[in-house]
Amino acid sequence: MLRLIRRIVFTIALLLVSIQSWAQVLFTADAPALTAMGSPFRVEFTVDAEPDSRSIAAPSFEGFELLAGPSVSTGHSVQFINGKQSSSYSCTFSYVLLPEREGTFTIGAATIRVDGKEYSTKPFPVEVVAEKGNAKSSGKGASTRNPENQISKDDIIIRLKLSDTDVYKGEAIRASLVLYTRVGIDHIESLEMPPFDDFWSQELTFDNDPSREEYNGKVYETYKIRELLLSPQRSGEIVIPATEMTVVAQIVQNNGRGFDPIFGGRQIYHVTRKLKSDEQKISVKEFPKGAPASFAGAVGRFSLNAKMPEAQIKANSADQISVTISGEGNLKFITAPKFRLPESFELYDTKSVDNIKVTASGTSGSITYTYPFVARSAGRFTIEPVEFTFFNPSTGEYTTLATERFTMEVLDDGKSSGEVVHAGVFTDYGGSMRQLDRDIRFIHNVAVPQRAASVFIFSPLYWLVIVASLAAFVVVYVLMRRRIRLNHNVVARRMRRADKVAVQRLRLAEKYMKEQNRHPFYEEMLRAMWGYIGDKFNIPVSALTKETIREELYRRGVSSADAEQFCQIISRLDEAQYAPVSEDDMSSVYGDAVEVISKIESIIKH
Amino acid sequence: MKTLSTKITAILRLFVALCTLLCGAGVAELYAADAATTAEVSLADGSRAYAEKDYATAVESFERVAALGYADADLYYNLANAYFKLGQNRLSPSGRTFSSGELGRAVLNYRRALRLDPSMEDARYNLDIAVDHTNDTEAIPDSFIVGLWHAIGDRATTNSWAILSVIDFVVLLISLLFYLLSQSIVLRKLTFAVSIVALVLFIFSTAFALSQRAKLQKQDTAVVVCNDTTPVHASPDSASKVIRQPSQGVTIELLRAHGEWSEILFSDGEKGWIRSNVIERV
Repeated sequence: MLRLIRRIVFTIALLLVSIQSWAQVLFTADAPALTAMGSPFRVEFTVDAEPDSRSIAAPSFEGFELLAGPSVSTGHSVQFINGKQSSSYSCTFSYVLLPEREGTFTIGAATIRVDGKEYSTKPFPVEVVAEKGNAKSSGKGASTRNPENQISKDDIIIRLKLSDTDVYKGEAIRASLVLYTRVGIDHIESLEMPPFDDFWSQELTFDNDPSREEYNGKVYETYKIRELLLSPQRSGEIVIPATEMTVVAQIVQNNGRGFDPIFGGRQIYHVTRKLKSDEQKISVKEFPKGAPASFAGAVGRFSLNAKMPEAQIKANSADQISVTISGEGNLKFITAPKFRLPESFELYDTKSVDNIKVTASGTSGSITYTYPFVARSAGRFTIEPVEFTFFNPSTGEYTTLATERFTMEVLDDGKSSGEVVHAGVFTDYGGSMRQLDRDIRFIHNVAVPQRAASVFIFSPLYWLVIVASLAAFVVVYVLMRRRIRLNHNVVARRMRRADKVAVQRLRLAEKYMKEQNRHPFYEEMLRAMWGYIGDKFNIPVSALTKETIREELYRRGVSSADAEQFCQIISRLDEAQYAPVSEDDMSSVYGDAVEVISKIESIIKH
Repeated sequence: MKTLSTKITAILRLFVALCTLLCGAGVAELYAADAATTAEVSLADGSRAYAEKDYATAVESFERVAALGYADADLYYNLANAYFKLGQNRLSPSGRTFSSGELGRAVLNYRRALRLDPSMEDARYNLDIAVDHTNDTEAIPDSFIVGLWHAIGDRATTNSWAILSVIDFVVLLISLLFYLLSQSIVLRKLTFAVSIVALVLFIFSTAFALSQRAKLQKQDTAVVVCNDTTPVHASPDSASKVIRQPSQGVTIELLRAHGEWSEILFSDGEKGWIRSNVIERV
């Protein structure tokens, strides 16, 4: 138990000691770095812990007359943030000094004791200048009643300060828009910056702490309004037009009723002033002649770093080369250096990743270019060095950097040229694989140029052709129809007349038979038989054979026996016609023929 | 007597009128012939200069022909090629290619060539290469059917489609005649099939001819023609927010004009305002 208590007490003691050691005492001095003759200023020493009483030892303010001081002010604040308590304490000793002479004087170290321990500030210089034409009309005449007159023309000035006015193209210039004032500024009403047409410009972030500066023999409070990084894009003299700005100044004036118990004795006036900066001229130099071929407008100081692919890869597999350009200069305008890969390498879209910071001294950082490729065929290949040239404006010379020559071996992948093996490199290229460095196709031969052709579709000519062909169609159709109808009529008549003609021929044959005129009889009989079939079924004479007769008769419903008989009669007639002696009787043939024809006729009619 | 004299004077007058008409026609023809020969000479000059890699002269010659009012797809194609080569080979002091807006001109003239002859495969290929050098965004892809329609339609010009449509119509009528008049069943079956095919082809070729005519007569396609990039604002006012920085050669659609500003539509659907003097209609 006792041990436990002892341990706790020990721990607490240790904790307290450590807290004590964390609490560092800060003792600082603050004063303007620049001041004018005859204007008093204030030097403040601040300590953030309670000092031992009367322990401050001020330095000897050599070159200055001590007007007042030390006046002590203390402040104490307690904060609760997220339930955590923190407290701060400050104690300020102020001295008001008046410069006695011009020059730079050092205000020495002040020392103070806190808890018996001694702390001191760092000595710092203060520059004292004599202001020209310092007719600071501090006369409290009647005219100063008007607050407008209290601010002279050069009490508020706006200036565009350039870090350099004689640069090379692409070299960065820092342009700061600074407000110089000798009176209090309430606010800025409007600001119109000129367009930086011939520059690539970039806004910079800056700390807008006021400072003091001497300009034209006067000391001003200065405030940075804007800060830009400009890099000229063309050579020659570039004029930056004036910046216009409207500010509202604040004048505190004694109103002559100094002892007025109600209104205090001071009055605040607001005075609006239009300001205009001077035009600025920048002469931009063109790059010197004799730029190497690989120069593509990079200006600054850079270094080149390349990461080569594996020394051995398989054919049809993908790998990449990456080149990193890092340094300071117009990184944003750098174009990817060109790689000349062996013929059998397929190069895809170059990808770039940049890490660029814009600072007051220019842009700096790095850009990494990745060149993905697919090696198509096996073999040993040399990758030629890639060159990158930049122009160094500080030396005025071109510097060419090159990667090392690299030899790599592509192994046979065992397949003939097949599909691409997608390695991880290509995952983020998706479908956008495109062959680079394609060239356009050659021009066409045009002997005689053409005028614009009128549009044919639905033009009057088009309709004319359509209507004409429609008309031709109708005419042809009507004519053909009529002819077909006529043709049909002829056939019908012939068919109707078929039996009549046959009867006439048979009669003629009968006459020959009676005269016993054999030859004409058979001839006429054959004609009657053939002609009957030909006319009846509208078959041209040339197409008449026994086969067709059988077919036609069969098609028209005549029995095959009758058809056979018909053909037999024709055969008998054929034979009898050329036989020397007739075995067949003319009358029996005649009778058969008449019988078969009438039979067919009756069948067809039905 | 009087009637005779009046008749003679009337005839004389007619004769004189006819003569002047013929002469006028002759002079006009002469002028036309003169322009034609100038064009031919300039064309030959341009082609020679191009072959000798003197692209500046080639551009000048082809532009001269184009200024004479010729609208020839091959001429625009050659002009575009000359611009492209000129821009590619003439590096600016900072090493930039296409520093005087040649790329924009090249894209413009490829588009003009393709407008006159959508089936020109070389122009499509070269345009593709030229567009690769711009920061033009990928267009919203057409649906499959629409894409197919354009792909087929672009195989020929409107007039080729129109002539095909007439031929199809005539074939349709002829096969219809055979179908209607023929006695043979085989022939009738065959011509029926031919008629159906011809009818379908007629409808499609007419539709393609109309679609290509619409493309040819479309007035609102334009190409950005500037030296490098140009700002596109949210409203017709140079103080308004810059929404995009298209480079030269980006193809856009014109929506309307307002003073010296034009409202445009990008291929990916974004709208904005651009100064009218940095765009040129295709």
